[in-house]
Amino acid sequence: MAVSGTLYTYPENWRAFKALIAAQYSGARLRVLSAPPHFTFGHTNRSPQFLKKFPLGKVPAFEGDDGFCVFESNAIAYYVSTEELRGSTPEAAAAVLQWVNFADSDVVPPASTWVFPTLGILHYNKQATEVAKEEVRKVLGVLDGHLRTRTFLVGERVSLADISLVCALLWLYKQVLDPAFRGPFGNVTRWFLTCLNQPEFKAVLGEVQLCQRMAQFDAKKFAESQARKEKDKEPPKKGDKGDKEPPKKEKPPRKEEKRPQPEEELDECEQVLAAEPKAKDPFAHLPKSPFVLDEFKRKYSNEDTLSVALPHFWEHFDREGWSLWYCQYRYPEELSQTFMSCNLITGMFQRLDKLRKNAFASVVLFGKDHDSSISGVWVMRGQELAFTLCPDWQVDYESYTWRKLDPDSAECRSLVAEYFTWEGEFRHVGKPFNQGKIFK
Amino acid sequence: MAAAVRGAEELELLERLLGLPGGNKYGVQGERKVPVLQTNNGPGLRGLMTIAAHLVRQARKDQLLGSTAEEKAVVQQWLEYRVTRVNGGSSKEDTRTILKDLNMHLEDKVYLAGNIFTLADILMYYGLHHIMVDLTVQEKEKYLNVSRWFNHIQHYPGVRQHLSDVVFVKNRLYTNAH
Repeated sequence: MAVSGTLYTYPENWRAFKALIAAQYSGARLRVLSAPPHFTFGHTNRSPQFLKKFPLGKVPAFEGDDGFCVFESNAIAYYVSTEELRGSTPEAAAAVLQWVNFADSDVVPPASTWVFPTLGILHYNKQATEVAKEEVRKVLGVLDGHLRTRTFLVGERVSLADISLVCALLWLYKQVLDPAFRGPFGNVTRWFLTCLNQPEFKAVLGEVQLCQRMAQFDAKKFAESQARKEKDKEPPKKGDKGDKEPPKKEKPPRKEEKRPQPEEELDECEQVLAAEPKAKDPFAHLPKSPFVLDEFKRKYSNEDTLSVALPHFWEHFDREGWSLWYCQYRYPEELSQTFMSCNLITGMFQRLDKLRKNAFASVVLFGKDHDSSISGVWVMRGQELAFTLCPDWQVDYESYTWRKLDPDSAECRSLVAEYFTWEGEFRHVGKPFNQGKIFK
Repeated sequence: MAAAVRGAEELELLERLLGLPGGNKYGVQGERKVPVLQTNNGPGLRGLMTIAAHLVRQARKDQLLGSTAEEKAVVQQWLEYRVTRVNGGSSKEDTRTILKDLNMHLEDKVYLAGNIFTLADILMYYGLHHIMVDLTVQEKEKYLNVSRWFNHIQHYPGVRQHLSDVVFVKNRLYTNAH
């Protein structure tokens, strides 16, 4: 039976293309999650749930509908392939593996050194670029010799070898391999264009325009992306990034010589590449707050709510920078099946994905089928309801009544305790607790 | 010299490749032995190109005739070339010209028309088979692009059938061939 599952990635990730093209050949069904609300690069892939399945937090990552998880783009592409793509004899399979590794070890490093400065995501170093150009010339020469007498890399049909190498060469052909440079490598270009024009490649890559003029280092773009990067490093994001930082610092800082560390730099670069121009932070107008929501969320997720998380909350809660809200679903009489009501709540959470850094909530469903109600307690940045700040957030909130809570009132204390622990009398509701959902 | 695949034999190869049930009776007409097919409920079809295109449509594999207008035209072009030049020519000189033409055309292409396998590749393969069988290693090296294309097409599933497998050396033997 054909493989089916979910592929997590950021948009336009050439590494993910490998699996997607292979799936076009095999008929594997891949659901791509690359954009909010389902997947937010740098956020979803750092979440504990994600790291549990994919400890490195790298994308692309694949999760089969049967629960099978695998990371590393080549492994994913291999998994979703057919026997023909993998190579059906031991020799063919070895040859396929040879070219897949060749792409990663001989093409990608010099390609990145050369291409990324032209995209403004890596500093330009003339010497490094010139060395990279020569390396690219060398690997294209090797490929050209091989493809002189061959239509595809292995055997007489498309294999994973072709898929991997085309994807590895994609940026080169788009950015810097102008007609003069690629001229001597006609066999490579013939093969490359043929692959691009196979319906299975086209379905994933669309129309690819080959480079007409060799792109040069873009100082302006570079400055912009650096500024973005710096901004990303500011707190409260710092905690998120922390897991990536330490191994880098162990390396002695290199002098002027800026030969990028292929793999690592590449991923950093790709992250920047993937980061869409950052939308303005809707909370930018607020003064800094000492209350660190992430800190509380960690306590809430990992430790006892009543004895640790709640005391922590009240100790650190900043009533100037944050507010507490009680919400109630306006149309309880329309709620029928409980699972549908739950979807209503989780759907709202998903649509509020980008609010997660600035809000926390516990929303609870009470009662049973055809006799239920929904209410919850929200912790939110600022003193106003945040939903109006972004059009994405306005879908659901009007279906609820909102009441601001006074953090000093006894009512507020007991609501927070009951909703955060999902325990207590919930006297204001009049229906028994059914289930709760946490927005974090 | 190997015998050329022509007329009914070629069309029967095509039928099998297309997965058609077969059973068509082909005749030949005139001095140049033009193939003829009498259909059940229509007029008789005459000529290789016409009958081949008919079989392709019958098999509902229209993509073999090209997808875009340009591709369709180029498929037609090579079918015409096949009928007029490959079938027409028989001298050594003719053969050399054909191989030279094709070698140039295939330098930056994998298939004759566009980027996909079409009827042009199939019929050119059948038309050239008897020529390629007789080429020396040096000639195969000289017409390198034709060799690469021919080898690819003969390995295309279902194309070669009972025809002999022409062997090509993939590593350069004579570095001074060009």
